[in-house]
Amino acid sequence: MKSKSDEELIELIVQNHRPALEELYDRYVKLIYSFSIKITKGDTEKTKEIVQQVFLRLWTTKRTYNASQGQFVNWLLTITRNISIDLIRKEQKYKGTVQLELEEWQQMQGLQSEDVEQQVTRNLLKQQIQEAKRQLSEPQQRLINLLYWEGYSLSEIAELEQKPLGTIKSRLHQALKKLRNNFNGKIGGVRHGE
Amino acid sequence: MENKCDNLSLFIINELTNQDKKQFEDHLLKCAKCQQELKSIQETWQMLSYDVEETEVPESLKSQVMDFVFEENKFLKHEEKKEAEPMSFKERILSVAKKHFSPISTAVTAILIICLIGFYWNSLHLKDTIKALENNAADPTQIVTTYSLTGESFAASATGSAYLLQEGTETNLVIALNNMPITKGNEVYQVWLLKNGNRQSAGTLIPDQNGSGLITYRLPPEYSFEDIGITLEPNPFNTQPQGQKVLGT
Ligand SMILES: [Zn+2]
Repeated sequence: MKSKSDEELIELIVQNHRPALEELYDRYVKLIYSFSIKITKGDTEKTKEIVQQVFLRLWTTKRTYNASQGQFVNWLLTITRNISIDLIRKEQKYKGTVQLELEEWQQMQGLQSEDVEQQVTRNLLKQQIQEAKRQLSEPQQRLINLLYWEGYSLSEIAELEQKPLGTIKSRLHQALKKLRNNFNGKIGGVRHGE
Repeated sequence: MENKCDNLSLFIINELTNQDKKQFEDHLLKCAKCQQELKSIQETWQMLSYDVEETEVPESLKSQVMDFVFEENKFLKHEEKKEAEPMSFKERILSVAKKHFSPISTAVTAILIICLIGFYWNSLHLKDTIKALENNAADPTQIVTTYSLTGESFAASATGSAYLLQEGTETNLVIALNNMPITKGNEVYQVWLLKNGNRQSAGTLIPDQNGSGLITYRLPPEYSFEDIGITLEPNPFNTQPQGQKVLGT
């Protein structure tokens, strides 16, 4: 199992091969766990729930991932985020704090990038993203956190910030562009062997 | 063109409506700038996921996850399906409504229950529920009009919604109020329907401890009105308002 690629493991999962799922678990659980525990703000019960749902999704919706569409790890994090945010939002909804019609977060399939190399060590990426984020203005940072990590929609953020939706939209555009520019030259060139 | 390019970020974070999304996809085919930017900004968005501290995973998690996937898989899939089924909640409301509140219309009761449970339902949700109820009710019910009520003076933080429901030949007005200041002594809130400067009482209510209140009123046949006003009255049996207006359309 250990020598198999992610794609080969997915192929085996399609054939209901349990050890393949366990191998994927061993490979990625730390990443999924770390991600979920951040998004749930350290709630280990909820984190467990998310990890369970992610692997259930892997097992039950076997053909969703298509290797030609990009990095498995990005896809995995996308579904982890979707599941996490669904969970957070469901709770917010019951608490009555989010009163807006909540749109189903859809998967970003088909738009996955092949350029971000999986081999780039996560720590390096983490440092880069943190550094890039630090160069954003205070409101831009807040926007990215609310949007990406807290799962708020743009119109909810507009309400929180008491700014017109248009302002928030262009703030997002500026923030993403700035982040991208801060990354430029740093990714793509760095390739580590595994 | 300019304008459409601005939707790139929204497209990436998936916050466009289906229609705007289609339009943007068309735009993307034609716009070299967006094509060029799409990938890099998409990557940037995904890079955000790396901003996490590595956390030790508990040893016991693996067996919990695997048990969940393999042993409870079927059971949970069944449960999920039930949860995702919006009808079940409506059906439950409907059955409660039928059992306990036969004198008033099922739809009106359903709305009252929904409001009582404390769910936030906008008129769209409500329409949806009513639609679901239609199959079960003898007469189809329709929301004719939705009003939103705004608080004023000492009840400035109060909010409310009113729904005009048509069921067969009957018209019912349902009003749900929130954040109402608590009444004292004999005080009541009274609902007035305004037409051509005339006021007709549509009932009184006393909000609960949380400041929430509900009232339903069956309109006289062929009756219409222009506005809804709510006053705080010193006693419950006024035919014309004495007290201060606190909410209105
Ligand atoms: Zn464009």
